[in-house]
Amino acid sequence: MLIAFENPLNESALAFPILECFHILGFALTLGTIALVDFRLLGFGLRQNAADLSKALAPWTLIGLITVLLSGPMLFSSDPDMYYLNLSFQIKMVLLVLALVFHYTIRRKLLRGELSPGLNKPVACISLLLWTSIIFAGIFIAFVVTPET
Amino acid sequence: MSALELAQWIQSTGWASYLRMSAYIYPSVLASHLTGIALFAGAVLVTDLRLLGVAMRNQPVADVVNQLRWPKRIGFLIVATCGFLLASSKAEEYYYNTFFRIKLTLLVLVAVHALVFRGSVYNNAAALDQARRIPGKAKLAAALSLLLWISIACVGRGIGYIEPPLDKLHAELRDVAATAGTPK
Repeated sequence: MLIAFENPLNESALAFPILECFHILGFALTLGTIALVDFRLLGFGLRQNAADLSKALAPWTLIGLITVLLSGPMLFSSDPDMYYLNLSFQIKMVLLVLALVFHYTIRRKLLRGELSPGLNKPVACISLLLWTSIIFAGIFIAFVVTPET
Repeated sequence: MSALELAQWIQSTGWASYLRMSAYIYPSVLASHLTGIALFAGAVLVTDLRLLGVAMRNQPVADVVNQLRWPKRIGFLIVATCGFLLASSKAEEYYYNTFFRIKLTLLVLVAVHALVFRGSVYNNAAALDQARRIPGKAKLAAALSLLLWISIACVGRGIGYIEPPLDKLHAELRDVAATAGTPK
């Protein structure tokens, strides 16, 4: 078990808020760039070919993902028991796995043209819904009651 | 009416009180605010990175700038609406909040940025494509825009870290501030 009070992050009052800023900017980059491709699939916004657009934005999505996946576990380490037992956190982790798997399997296949174009809109909607629900679950971590540790 | 009185009045309205007391609506509006930030940020970022010549270089500047106008507007509408609701629910408390004041100041700077650069850069994208290289002014506009929005996001997170000044708040609102987040 991780012991939170030995974590150097908890030595500074500024560490957590600064990490949170990275986490926010990281998911804004992730969802923001993913959404632009999903909007394209829905026929809205940028009109460049969806496959090319996705290729152009993929590095930025990845930078965002790396930022959240580095800052997230560090935030978690500040109080692991609380997060581990927090229902909203548990839901968030399940959604995150689902979103990542969906993003790099079905959605990637669609953008490579390996799936029927009829799936453009459903896939875009599922993608937007999954990533947005992660934000909601993340915010609710602070608003649901965690069982006493 | 002073700014403080205005804040107290907004906070006392029915919907602001309802939002403040709600267990699930307040965090939902907050999450929508953050979703809006992400949608808005994507459109702003790609616009600015194109102006800087970093991303989407095979696409004309005019196409990127113009086609992202609506995603940007919709994102901003979500952020601003939710932001206004969040701020109004704790208006009196935020009146004293230093980060909130910095955030409002930065938003004024965003308006100044628009006044300075809108005509020559964002509404002039077709001319930027004619130029051999993207002019320095357009790159400056993009860099300042990124800097402003990143600062606003970080300062916004800071708002939540300042404790409400309970001794200064309206008596009837003190209890609410003291038990903020507790379901009614």
